[in-house]
Amino acid sequence: MDTVTRRKFLQLTAGAVAVGAAAPLLSIDEIAAAAVNRPLAAGTPIVVMVTLYGGNDGLNTVIPFTDPLYYSSRPEISYKAENMLPLDAELALNPAMKGLKSLWDQKKVAIIRGVGYPNPDRSHFSSMAKWQTASPEKHINTGWLGRWIDTQAEDSMLAISLGSVLPPLFAGAKRSGSVLPLGGLVIPKGSVATNCMQLAKVSRADNSLMAAAATSMRNLFSVSSTVQPILKAPAPVAVDLPVVNGGNAGGDSNLAQQLDVVAKLIAAGSPTKVWSVSLGGFDTHANEANAQAVLLGAVSDSISRFISQMKSTSRSADVTVVVYSEFGRRVAGNGSQGTDHGTSGPMFIVGDKVNGGFYGDQPSLKNLVNGDLAVTTDFRDVYATILESLLKSPVEPVLGKWSGRTKFLKV
Amino acid sequence: MNAKRLEISRLFHRFAFGPRPGEFAAALTAGVSATRKNILTVPAVDAGAGRVTLPEITDLGPRPKPNTAEVVPFALGMRNQTEKLTIWWLDQMALSDHGLTEKMAWFWHGHWATSITKVDHPLAMYKQNQIFRQYALGNFAQMSRAMINDAALQYWLDGQTNTVKAPNENLGRELMELFTLGVNRYTEDDVKAVARVLTGYQVNVSAATVVVNPKRRDTSAVTILGQTSTYTAEGVSDYLVGKSDCAQFIAERLWYRFISSTENMPANFAPVKTFSAREIAPLVTAIASDSAMSNTRYAMVKSPVEWFISVCRALELTPSELSTSKQLINHLNKLGQIPFYPPNVGGWPAAEAWLSSASAQYRIAFATWLIKQSSLRALNEIPIDRRVLASADWLGVGEWSARTQTALRNSLSDPQEFALLALCSPEYVVSA
Repeated sequence: MDTVTRRKFLQLTAGAVAVGAAAPLLSIDEIAAAAVNRPLAAGTPIVVMVTLYGGNDGLNTVIPFTDPLYYSSRPEISYKAENMLPLDAELALNPAMKGLKSLWDQKKVAIIRGVGYPNPDRSHFSSMAKWQTASPEKHINTGWLGRWIDTQAEDSMLAISLGSVLPPLFAGAKRSGSVLPLGGLVIPKGSVATNCMQLAKVSRADNSLMAAAATSMRNLFSVSSTVQPILKAPAPVAVDLPVVNGGNAGGDSNLAQQLDVVAKLIAAGSPTKVWSVSLGGFDTHANEANAQAVLLGAVSDSISRFISQMKSTSRSADVTVVVYSEFGRRVAGNGSQGTDHGTSGPMFIVGDKVNGGFYGDQPSLKNLVNGDLAVTTDFRDVYATILESLLKSPVEPVLGKWSGRTKFLKV
Repeated sequence: MNAKRLEISRLFHRFAFGPRPGEFAAALTAGVSATRKNILTVPAVDAGAGRVTLPEITDLGPRPKPNTAEVVPFALGMRNQTEKLTIWWLDQMALSDHGLTEKMAWFWHGHWATSITKVDHPLAMYKQNQIFRQYALGNFAQMSRAMINDAALQYWLDGQTNTVKAPNENLGRELMELFTLGVNRYTEDDVKAVARVLTGYQVNVSAATVVVNPKRRDTSAVTILGQTSTYTAEGVSDYLVGKSDCAQFIAERLWYRFISSTENMPANFAPVKTFSAREIAPLVTAIASDSAMSNTRYAMVKSPVEWFISVCRALELTPSELSTSKQLINHLNKLGQIPFYPPNVGGWPAAEAWLSSASAQYRIAFATWLIKQSSLRALNEIPIDRRVLASADWLGVGEWSARTQTALRNSLSDPQEFALLALCSPEYVVSA
């Protein structure tokens, strides 16, 4: 699933959002205004979901570097052991993930191994839908965080996704998370603007849909001048990184740009408990090594930059980053220096609240299930822990009666 | 609002893709019933649609292996044909003299919603579109049989993986839930049974053909909705379409797209009974003639494609002549609707889903782009002292609110801005 496909997945699945729960589209100004007027209470946990679209090759992310089967199964695309970043005696990180390795050394990274769900589906669309809805058996239209949003008091700032289209993750039955286009909204100027604002006025003749059309136009113009300074201000300084030309290095990828906006708004006090950002391009059927290394480098650099930025705010201890992809890839290479769609993969959980280390069993390279890695941890165990221990919310309304937990947080 | 203007406006915007310049005023003179008859009658010859060149869509063969020399020409051919196919359909909608046929083809595309994102091969999508045209106002039982044997639908819903050894329920479930009966009008056992009947299909998606492989077919007797039999695929289609729930369901879907996406179809909605022989035309006629058509509760938001095509007709633009096709598709993409790319098997969203502040922004940009490519002939021909009110007739709008009249009056000196405001007004974005 390349970037285009990711966009399409989002657009297309957006149709699944119930009509009554149409995603509010925020302007950055609205969020900033809320941040000024009703900032998130100090100490409130904040979750940042990072979705890797396309199916990240987990075996070349967290690598069993002492297992001969790793090298013999995929001779064309295995890394040399001396380049990898060892985490313990058996597993190493992809050479491109130096930033995350450093956080690992600080005990701020939990790696949950072999995460997936029963009867893995190898379609990008279906598998991502299962991860986002947390409903592997039955197709449903609500995302697991969308159902959590349903349980919370109504607040359009509660959960915000960067990008112009709502991911199913944030679609609830009653309400949905909000979307924030990265570029913000382009607002008409001059006499067109004046007359558009005239069109946006409430009219007594309007039926409810016309009134909604007028409101959507009005929202386009609801810019508050008092909050402009927050937006114009630079992103928080990443204290651990060298400063180049007045900014930190490593902020070039699209993911870094999204996380910059998140950092800025968290620093400003946005009353947002859950954020969603994403990166596409992980569908590496061919010439995988370079492509995946670039992407994993972007993930690792942007996250370590973001964690570092948080240190210059008061929220450093509150933020937890969660990284997942819709499936891993097959163990064996496919003959075009790539891998085809597989099953389980590792999840990364990063932050001060995290008790760093490995969780879940590493899937065996010897005992494969139909040529694929076994699933050793159900993603619902991870979601349940996020709900219960981070968001301090009951699990049942979101996941039903689900008893599994993964204890990756400090007690 | 004047009841006659409301009803005629709805006939044009819901049962067709909006009036061309002059058509709305002429319809007001002719009256509601003459206009309804005109819109519902399929002409012997569609000269407008006849001007549209058929796209050359060919079998490009299976996708070559990655990193081979064949991949590039294949991918280019694919992209090129997909674009041609999309523009061809938009031209059909914009130029046809019989809007209802096009509107029904569009409706059926949303009903049997199949996306080229998975099907990948434009020829299969084109052939499926031919079925929508052939049965647009024809017999639903025949359409359903044709769809069961449609390569794009079979591929889209994993029919080719549905075998006696490993049944895949995708098509069987959607056939009942989304295509013929509606959700909760069957049990999970019925889903399993229908899936077994539909086993054995093998799809050549690039050539858009299907064959049934007897070795992969489950031929045992199954019980569906209480009746045990050895069904064929066509037989199960006929059986489901024959259920009374099917008439209710198809009427509900038409209600949702033509009358209201926000209010439920009333119980005992009279037009349902006109579907007894599963003929689509009488049902559509009955809905267009129902008293709901003059009930002000039932407003509808125009979907992005509906809005765009009605703008093309008012501005006398031909989609294929817009510069460039890629920009056109990009505009539609931003608004979230491109033909052949429905979001999922459930079809397009409706109502407020199309009304975010991002879509307001994108609609303004799209309208600006379109207006620059039009002479605005019809608008400029309206004398300036009558332009504010008479522009409602140009666009087939029931009436402008005082608010919108003020905005239009402010921009009388600038026809492009005037057109932009009219096309982005709540009264035009929504069919009252």
